Amino acid sequence: MSHATTSTDLARDDDKSAEAGIETTPDRRGFVRTTILGQKQALIGLIIVLVFVLIAIFAPLLAPYSPTEKTGGIYEAPSSAHWLGTDDGGVDMLSLMIYGSRVSLEVGFAAAIVAMVIGGSVGVVSGFFGGGVDVLLMRITDIFLVIPDIPLVIVVAAIFGRNLLNIILIIGIIYWTSTARLIRAQVKSVRERVYVKRARSIGAGNNRLVFKHVLPQVAPLLIANTVLMIALAVFLETYIAFLGLGDPSTISWGKLIENSFLGNAVLNNAWWAVVPPGLAVTVVILACTMVGQSMEDALNPRLKVGHLAVRRFRMRPLHGKLESE
Amino acid sequence: MSEPVLRVEDLHVWFDLSGGRELHAVQGVTFELRPGERMGLVGESGCGKTTTILAIMGLLPGSASVAGKVFFDGVNILEKGEETVSPHRWSDISMVFQGAMNAFNPVKTVGSQIAEPMELHGTATGKAARAQVRELLELVGISGSRADRYPHEFSGGMRQRAAIALSLACEPKVLLADEPTTALDVMVQAQILELLVRLTRDLGLSMILVTHDLPVVAQVCDRAAVMYAGEIAEMGEMATIYHDARHPYTRMLFSATPDLLGAEDVKSIPGAPPRLDRELVGCPFAPRCDSTFAPCTVTHPRRLEVDPGHEAICHLNDRVVVEETA
Amino acid sequence: MQRSDYIIKRTLFAVLTVFVAVTLNFLLFRALPGNAVSGLKCRACTIQFKKAVAHDMGLDKSKWEQYVIYLKNLAHGDMGYTAITHKPVRGELWDPIKNTLAMITLGTVFSIIFGVFTGVISAWRRGTWLDKGSVWTALAFYSVPTQWLGLMIVYFVADRVGLPHGGIQSPDFGILGNPGTYEFLVDRTKHMILPALTLGLVLYGDYTLIVRSAMLETLGEDYVLTARAKGMSNWEIVWKHGFRNAMLPVVTLIALSLGFIIGGAITIEYVFDYPGIGLAIVDAIDKRDYAFLQGAFLVLTLSVIFCNFVADLLYFKLDPRVTT
Repeated sequence: MSHATTSTDLARDDDKSAEAGIETTPDRRGFVRTTILGQKQALIGLIIVLVFVLIAIFAPLLAPYSPTEKTGGIYEAPSSAHWLGTDDGGVDMLSLMIYGSRVSLEVGFAAAIVAMVIGGSVGVVSGFFGGGVDVLLMRITDIFLVIPDIPLVIVVAAIFGRNLLNIILIIGIIYWTSTARLIRAQVKSVRERVYVKRARSIGAGNNRLVFKHVLPQVAPLLIANTVLMIALAVFLETYIAFLGLGDPSTISWGKLIENSFLGNAVLNNAWWAVVPPGLAVTVVILACTMVGQSMEDALNPRLKVGHLAVRRFRMRPLHGKLESE
Repeated sequence: MSEPVLRVEDLHVWFDLSGGRELHAVQGVTFELRPGERMGLVGESGCGKTTTILAIMGLLPGSASVAGKVFFDGVNILEKGEETVSPHRWSDISMVFQGAMNAFNPVKTVGSQIAEPMELHGTATGKAARAQVRELLELVGISGSRADRYPHEFSGGMRQRAAIALSLACEPKVLLADEPTTALDVMVQAQILELLVRLTRDLGLSMILVTHDLPVVAQVCDRAAVMYAGEIAEMGEMATIYHDARHPYTRMLFSATPDLLGAEDVKSIPGAPPRLDRELVGCPFAPRCDSTFAPCTVTHPRRLEVDPGHEAICHLNDRVVVEETA
Repeated sequence: MQRSDYIIKRTLFAVLTVFVAVTLNFLLFRALPGNAVSGLKCRACTIQFKKAVAHDMGLDKSKWEQYVIYLKNLAHGDMGYTAITHKPVRGELWDPIKNTLAMITLGTVFSIIFGVFTGVISAWRRGTWLDKGSVWTALAFYSVPTQWLGLMIVYFVADRVGLPHGGIQSPDFGILGNPGTYEFLVDRTKHMILPALTLGLVLYGDYTLIVRSAMLETLGEDYVLTARAKGMSNWEIVWKHGFRNAMLPVVTLIALSLGFIIGGAITIEYVFDYPGIGLAIVDAIDKRDYAFLQGAFLVLTLSVIFCNFVADLLYFKLDPRVTT
């Protein structure tokens, strides 16, 4: 999963759209209803994510065994006793998967929030105040965009992090840039709106303007971006864990993939140790992407009529279709 | 009288809507265009004028279905839809689009885009094409050396001229101009219109000028057809329909524009056009008309020739109906 | 604003970024107390050894002094010595980089060709099953963790197609006398295919989606309708107008995904035991060889900055509207 994806991420477009004053005024109350519930795929994605969140929360109730005790043979195939078999330490895979969801999702959500807070603040400040502050912040953002992200994460994790908090912070701190750019463009276009100018003429102070008018306009896009960020964070966690840089005392899906690698699951033909964690990660990322992307699409409607279609206009005979006059 | 270069006969266009419904955008449009004639197609937005000319060139999207005939030089070019209409594109009938500013691809030079249809239709290639491009640009009042520039380097008015040059690239007989002066300022507008008149005269072109702007039509066209709700409400010589409007819509349109040759904004008629996704009973203009009487809400008026070359669809012209009601 | 201003601006920016990267590199590896050498893990790494290395690396001087020395050394192309084997870092980087370059080029080319192809077709046949299927497939590959895909390929595919599980040279290579260049290339390629395929699959999803989206937007433009009015066929329009315009964001996209490509290379080489720069980095991390890491990371970052710069210039050439 490359983080360069979101259609709004292409740095060059941001300034243009801000200048064009892209109209995105989602009715706040109707927002959830129209974007998420109105779109089938977003709804499915949301349900999937919720299911996993529930699994994570209720892990102790759902897991059949303890995730740290040896309850079976080494690399036992799936059976009625162990639905997903056991790993190379004889621990039940299903329980490992269920408990693993906790850390994976935790890192995902927490890192995304960190990125959102930093990126959102930078974006709001930059977009709202403009001028020298804007230029400076955007230069910094641009520089960070160019420096390769994943190697940086890996290297920083190698130096600093064998614990969960550090990892969350690392991901959040390195990924605030795309959020910042996005929010800045949005804030700029909102700023151009008439009612903000009017409020200023009445004498409202800057802060009031920011909180009352700009934030609510910007919030939906921020949320959409955060959801996509969650997907990215979960993805990165697997990378970090895979390279042995994760928190050794925790179980996460990333760690499970690493275990299967180190424990030579492939050689032992133990597909049940390899397939489930990766599959779970894929499904969660896919679900988050579906939700986030739908939200972004709803807020940035750009789909015009396609002038080029394989299907051309049709001719039909006059009689039988005419309304008699 | 010479043979019409273009004859549209009972043209209908439907657009598919969600839920299996249809929008009947053009409802039985019939008119002729003679060589060298400039005809205006006037109406409010949504009345079907743009759809009509798109249909003539077969440029409607896949969600459209078309019925009727379009005769170019006596041959029905809509006979088999796309197959029969595409050979005539640009070489016989060409178009200047609404918002022609965006008719050009921003990453290619203007010159190359004007040469494109020439090379496509085999009228000229390479050096010859480039020379012709320069000629065309000079014809519309742009220096030939600008052929190697990109669209964004042209001003709005110049881009419009370039779009006109483009439309002439393959020496067509008919030019369809869709709102060629909207979004231009008044001075530039006048220049463009003057250009169009001059070109049609010098090159013997016929032109259909689509617009919602009455002063434009008055300035440029010999004849005009006023469209409403997908139909032609009234059609005839400019002077005739101005002085002797036989459809209330036409009359109200003109009186809403006090100074046809002036610069005042056109005032609109209160109310809104009817929805075309459902069947209409009676005359479509009845709800907004100031001269309705009994049959207006019951029967659809017949198309009548009130004088040679002057027709209107309104019960008021229909002696039979008027007598019956009296 | 002049077009030439753009080039100047971009060059300055690139230089600035290089400077920031270099400094960041320094800060990460040197400026932290006790980090560079204290964590070293190797059999010969006694306290005296570590002290000697620390002295060698100049770690006992002040931070500012270290920084200046660091910059001076870099200007001479000196990236220090690996802490463990004490070989010059620069020399150690060359072979692994060659291997990685070959592998990621293969993978990236595959993903670009495949991604652009499916993206264009998808946009053209928008709304059909072909389009929907291809979008969902792309999304799926986009969401898959790279290392896991690698493992899956090794598990399910490698044996079936007779390709090696990893490494870069077959154990029986050269057993039967001197192998020629051809055999050498064949053997190398056999070992590169699966890692490259893994990278390609993970990348192509992203590219398909972007190309499709760019294509769709292009196809909705007015000039496409004009082209149709001129009498051009669908295919001609796609090729002459749609393609060129839609490729603009693709250039940017490729530049932006370089970070991901390198990250992917790191995990893929780990899975496939492929001796590229990625594997070298993993080893260095494991052994806490920070000198090596510093050099490797710097080289990678500078390459990416350079590639971005090239992409900027390319975009500049392709889009005549660019002035800032």
